Amino acid sequence: MKKLDDCRLYVITGENYHPGRSLLDVMERALIGGADILQLRAKETPKREVLAQAYALRELTQRYGVPFIINDHIDIALAVGADGVHLGQDDLPLAEARRILGPDKIIGISTHHIDQALDAERGGADYIGVGPVYPTGTKPGRKAVTTDYVREAAQRVRLPFVAIGGITLDNVDAVLEAGAVRICAVSAIVGSEDPAEACRTFLHHIRLKQMDHLIAGSTCTVCVNGREERTSARTVLELVEQLNLSGKRMVVELNGEIVPHERWGAAPIADGAVLELVHFVGGG
Amino acid sequence: MIAAGHHDPFVINGKRLSSRFFLGTGRFPSPAVLQMALDASGAEVITFAVRRVNLESVEDDSILQHMADRELTFLPNTSGANNADEAVRIARLARAAGLGNWIKVEISANPRTLLPDPIETLRATEQLVKDDFVVLPYTSDDPILCKRLEEAGASAVMPGGAPIGSGLGILNPYNIGLIVEDAKVPIIVDAGIGSAVDVVRAMELGADGILVNTPVAKANDPVAMARAMRLAVEAGRTAYQAGRIPQRKYASASSEAEGIPAPLYAASHEGSQ
Repeated sequence: MKKLDDCRLYVITGENYHPGRSLLDVMERALIGGADILQLRAKETPKREVLAQAYALRELTQRYGVPFIINDHIDIALAVGADGVHLGQDDLPLAEARRILGPDKIIGISTHHIDQALDAERGGADYIGVGPVYPTGTKPGRKAVTTDYVREAAQRVRLPFVAIGGITLDNVDAVLEAGAVRICAVSAIVGSEDPAEACRTFLHHIRLKQMDHLIAGSTCTVCVNGREERTSARTVLELVEQLNLSGKRMVVELNGEIVPHERWGAAPIADGAVLELVHFVGGG
Repeated sequence: MIAAGHHDPFVINGKRLSSRFFLGTGRFPSPAVLQMALDASGAEVITFAVRRVNLESVEDDSILQHMADRELTFLPNTSGANNADEAVRIARLARAAGLGNWIKVEISANPRTLLPDPIETLRATEQLVKDDFVVLPYTSDDPILCKRLEEAGASAVMPGGAPIGSGLGILNPYNIGLIVEDAKVPIIVDAGIGSAVDVVRAMELGADGILVNTPVAKANDPVAMARAMRLAVEAGRTAYQAGRIPQRKYASASSEAEGIPAPLYAASHEGSQ
């Protein structure tokens, strides 16, 4: 089974979004498209029916090697051997749920404020939901927390967190930009004509942003002639090449020390390096 | 060439120079004009400044791109430095360019006059001499200071005639004369020269050379002015060597008084008697 840490696209059931199509069919399409964690949420459905759906989805997610989470119903989770549960702020308290489920089950907590997030983290949650980022039909009447909370969570929460709530292909980039690396969508996936294609597109956006982060992670910020520059250059020579200054007769000073031309390739650039690139100009 | 020929060698730190005219490279209307002015000047030592590379415009060419084919001695300056430490830093950057170890110390203390800071200039000269530079400090026209710079190991001393770019000429010829009289290293009058007349003046006072930038670069015809100043260096140096007559208060006739034919008036007067 895929590890929680590696999950990127979290999909939640929403039968009301796909009238006329079976739950299993729609969810399998999502898994085919690459959804890598699945939650059964059926607030209005009679419990026996939920149990039946849970058994079916347990079998389906096992086939796809994807963690399966049950919303709210700890008993159903235990009954069908789900990988974990997801709890809201008004559901059973985290400590109680942990006592019942034991240390190995996944417990996720919905949070709408950084204090709730930090509480969940301290309380031993495995992941948290951060949202609703945008107003959503799934949780009518709940005030959107906006990408501000996503940004705050990205900075302060060490647990894996999933951004959720009104996220669509039109606004997912802003959520990722705010620092989310895991996205949860309901209507944008299960309500779409082709849930597989919707998942693929979401994942494409997520991966693009991941690559940006990777690139950003391998760059450093340096000060060149008084100007802040982000660069992936690892040596003075690479930096000079990136600045299109190759072939110019220049003198380079790195952190106050002159670097002779022949040593540019061996002079490493670290984050915070201060460089002066000088040359001769007319003068008396 | 009498100006700096075999009979009148001009040597700085063991290097024999062919011209007593040092040319600055700033403020020329174009690189081409600078090239032509350089030809017309006959200058062999040229100065320039050290500045940050412009990251916005990679076309912004280093001055040296235009100097590749010439046999020149490069004299970078430390302009922009406000104290000795900054001057030393700029000097080291300049030397790292691999174009020799000559440095013109230039430490301005006042943005309006650009007059040199004598104390920091002396300090920088001491440090740079220790650091094996050939040091040519630009300094005020103070005879004692110039001597102190010489003692500190300056290879030549370059007193200003007047503030940089002012064109006011030699404001204190008396001082320049004293400096020259006492010096054991070449004295190059740097800064303040306005036109050829000032060059002649400096050379006749006994300066070993002049350093000029703005009056050539900003002349209506920089190339012609470069030539005029070359001729002025030659004229002034030759006149200095030739030895001028002393100045005196009253006239001294060019011809002897004896043998002047008798005036016509006197003759006719005598005749009528």
